[in-house]
Amino acid sequence: MTGAAPLQQGMLPDTIAKLLGLGAFGVAGDVVAALLGAFLVANFLLINTAFAGPWAKRKITAAFTDRIAVNRIGPFGLFVIVADAVRLLSKELVIPEGVDRPAWDLGPILIPFSALLGFAVIPMGSGLQLADPETGLAFAFAASSIASLGLIMMGYASNNKYSLLGGLRAVASNLAYEIPLVVTGISVVLFTGTLQMSAIVEAQQATFVSVAGVAIPQWFAFVNPFAFVLFVLANVAEVGRNPFDIPEAPTEIVAGYQTEYSSVYFVLIYLGEFIHIFLGGAIAATLFLGGPAGPGPAALGIVWFTAKIWAFFLLTQWLRSAVPRLRVDQFIEIGWKGMLVLSFANLVLTAVIVGVLA
Amino acid sequence: MSLEEPEPDVPATVEEQSPDEIAEMLSDHVIGREEHLNAPGYVIRPDAVQDVLSTLKTEAGYDHLSCVTAQEYEDRYESIYHLKKFDDPTQEVSVVVPADRENPVSESADPVFRTADWHEREAYDLVGIEYDDHPDLRRILLPETWQGHPLAADYDQDRPQVVPLRENANPLQEDQRSEQDTDTMFLNIGPHHPATHGVLHLKTTLDGEQVADVESDIGYLHRCEEQICQNGTYRHQIMPYPDRWDYISAGLLNEWAYARAAEDMADIDVPEYAQVIRTMGAELCRIAAHMLAVGTFALDVYGDFTAIFMYAIRDREKAQNILEDLTGQRLMFNYFRLGGVVWDLPEPREEFFEKTRDFLEDLPEALEEYHDLISGNEILQMRTIDTGVLPPEVAKSYGATGPVARGSGIDYDLRRDDPYGYYDELDWDVVTEDGCDNYSRLLVRLREVEESAKIIEQCIDLLEDWPEEDRTIQANVPRTLKPDDDAEIYSAVEGAKGELGIYMRSDGTDKPARFKIRSPCFSNLQTLPEMAEGEYVPDLIAALGSLDIVLGEVDR
Amino acid sequence: MIGILKGMATTMKHALDGKTFTVEYPDVAPEVSPRFRGVHKFSQERCIWCRQCENVCPNDTIQIVQDDQRNGEQYNLHIGQCIYCRLCEEVCPVDAILLTQNFEFTADTKDEFVYNKEQLKNVPWYKGIDPLNSRNPDRNAWVGEGDGEIDYQ
Repeated sequence: MTGAAPLQQGMLPDTIAKLLGLGAFGVAGDVVAALLGAFLVANFLLINTAFAGPWAKRKITAAFTDRIAVNRIGPFGLFVIVADAVRLLSKELVIPEGVDRPAWDLGPILIPFSALLGFAVIPMGSGLQLADPETGLAFAFAASSIASLGLIMMGYASNNKYSLLGGLRAVASNLAYEIPLVVTGISVVLFTGTLQMSAIVEAQQATFVSVAGVAIPQWFAFVNPFAFVLFVLANVAEVGRNPFDIPEAPTEIVAGYQTEYSSVYFVLIYLGEFIHIFLGGAIAATLFLGGPAGPGPAALGIVWFTAKIWAFFLLTQWLRSAVPRLRVDQFIEIGWKGMLVLSFANLVLTAVIVGVLA
Repeated sequence: MSLEEPEPDVPATVEEQSPDEIAEMLSDHVIGREEHLNAPGYVIRPDAVQDVLSTLKTEAGYDHLSCVTAQEYEDRYESIYHLKKFDDPTQEVSVVVPADRENPVSESADPVFRTADWHEREAYDLVGIEYDDHPDLRRILLPETWQGHPLAADYDQDRPQVVPLRENANPLQEDQRSEQDTDTMFLNIGPHHPATHGVLHLKTTLDGEQVADVESDIGYLHRCEEQICQNGTYRHQIMPYPDRWDYISAGLLNEWAYARAAEDMADIDVPEYAQVIRTMGAELCRIAAHMLAVGTFALDVYGDFTAIFMYAIRDREKAQNILEDLTGQRLMFNYFRLGGVVWDLPEPREEFFEKTRDFLEDLPEALEEYHDLISGNEILQMRTIDTGVLPPEVAKSYGATGPVARGSGIDYDLRRDDPYGYYDELDWDVVTEDGCDNYSRLLVRLREVEESAKIIEQCIDLLEDWPEEDRTIQANVPRTLKPDDDAEIYSAVEGAKGELGIYMRSDGTDKPARFKIRSPCFSNLQTLPEMAEGEYVPDLIAALGSLDIVLGEVDR
Repeated sequence: MIGILKGMATTMKHALDGKTFTVEYPDVAPEVSPRFRGVHKFSQERCIWCRQCENVCPNDTIQIVQDDQRNGEQYNLHIGQCIYCRLCEEVCPVDAILLTQNFEFTADTKDEFVYNKEQLKNVPWYKGIDPLNSRNPDRNAWVGEGDGEIDYQ
């Protein structure tokens, strides 16, 4: 692994191994270092989620709807995070009659797990990256789509018709939007020529244009805004947020696959969904927004990265406040007839441009 | 049998038949004549209901079966079909169908008017009259295991109603596939569902995600409102209850329905000043009710607790604050009295006028925002245009009224067509849209808010200049009201959801002998299968939202 | 597309203007109209035991017990059953029963909502305001059978 790039100060496990002197223990030391690294990254995300779920989401929604929201416990109501955690974890875990275990139990575990797995290859800046395989981007897409499996399992195992409908919708929507998402992602790969995440970030370091002395970096969002918009839309659909929250659709199918879950499992699903939003934001940031790049010293990378994934989170909440949900058939239609065509058009266009330029 | 578009040779003004002409038209089916306070009544043979109603519908143009009232006398049962014309609701006839005391059976009107289906089921459920040729004569408000008919004379109020679980279909039953068709799935939507607006239960059969069949199961909120009113005195005790039928801040509109019926029955004149206050209050209620309708409809379509719902609630809150200043309460107003209203405008009057004017001034801006957020939104248009289609003939046959009918292009509004209060002195328009779909019903409500604002503004102007010595808020009404024995009246007003009618029969005491509520939501909800079958589940939800039902009024 | 963007702009405008319409109850006690109808207040000193309130009550919320000399013994009111229609206040010739603006009442069981005359007497005024003055009761129209002034004692 190389640590030559300005933003990449080596992989996190290597840094930990060096700091703790674990290198002397051979493979066992590597494993411990990797686990410690994974622990750190997972915790970083869980803290983000803890802010996002019980607190930020409420505050943001309240701002859009002219309300105040949580303000009773602690400064700005921040301690509601603790209160909610206690409340949700202390509730009874209701296991309905006739659920298909262990599939019913595996689903909620699979969702946060898959989303966290995706973060293994995301360069978060300030040296926070667990691994940087050659196939990084493919791995990130693959890991995040494991979640669909969890959704289907939950929908099918719940022995509830609403859940079943939700599960089926989840399959349909993932099929319809995964492909445009990946195809649009590939258009970026055409520029970089590699799937390796760090290389994709590096490729965006160069200056694109210089306007009045301000250097605008070669972020692919600036190079190909069309692809960026497509990618963000497909991403919103992929993580199942409004206007594409068809699999949940509380007013139609009563939260779909989540209907029968309570207590810890509910928390897990919720966590998973938020980490998923962040993963969507992270992939978008890496592919189109220069990953952890930003003004200031490279050590601030993690700050910029966090800002970018939160910006994506904010976007999902903004859409939630203002955009009506599509109907399931319209949604699928837009996926197959609109997004897919557009994403291939974008791919061909990018290929031509890259071919001509190269 | 079905209603055609008005034929070209029908004159613009609706031809009115004299009572004798109608009697002649019905020839030997008529076995007697009655005189109701609102309309002539024809007593007909119980086996000629379909003949009589279809004659009246096709030949005389009585195309609106407003209500079916059933009641029991000492010597007979009786069903009254209150017929009107959509083109001129002041032309009414009552078709009285007596049924035998021992074996109360009469012919069903269902083949002529689809709306009779539910109305006759209710009559069967509560009073016990059976209808021949009815497609599906089951109980509608009470559970199927109920013993006896609560509004029948021999009903034992104290008898415990034991309804064992085994008598009901077991919802946990292993296999719920229907026997004939294994490709469909049965789905219970409600009674606890985020989008049923209360306790409505939709028995839905799905073919994939499409609705193959939907049947509403109502009655979860049945509170015997009719019987409560039968046990209250005309003078005061009935008035608090209309607030509780359509409890979504449409209280004054409901109170007006009772006030109108009782005032017509007892021949009470309402001072003009009180009429203006009534009109203003009622329109404020209409705004509040429509705001909630629009907000919850958007909620159903948006699907999350979103901005438009909160904005609608915020603006409704302003209307409610004004209503609180006026009536003292935010929902259960109890503000009307027979012969007027209970309070004059609150002092200082200028402050009240200013507050109301501020609300009206802010309203166009708020509506602009609604249009930005909902009616102008392309996704919402995709979702609502051409879904939940209710053709005008079907709407008429089901007795749909209010914004639901006006969204299907039926130009029918009792405020204009059968004027009461101060409406005919004011300048406003009836809103109609021709789309017949969910979107039109939404637009009708949004535009009606504008019209209501116009009415309120004119009322405020009138009230502001009203000479102080003329501010009589109540007519002199005797403390105990005893209308003439056996007086019968059916009269309706334009409630928030449509035609809200009251039928009352007096027996010479100070309490009504029969009190029947014609709830607009009850008739409107009946159209749901027509709108939803063949559509997707989300459209079923949207159609239900666009009907804007309040279960308190459906179930009474 | 324009419509969607317009909608998004609208909500963003609301998010940024910082205005809220949340009522911070109970930190801030809300303003209620003087006509607002809350829990009853009863004055035994004023009451003439005419039982009109009991008669007019639409759902038998008020129960009055008198001894054989028609002197009042008990005045019970079930504030959990009451529909707050204010007919009792309207009909009372001596203003002995009044609906305060007080809407804050709780109990652990339904039975605790049955208030006797002592409890009814001790119901506090909301924000210390006696709403009677601003209610402007129009008793002439109410009584109806005779014109002219009614003597309130």
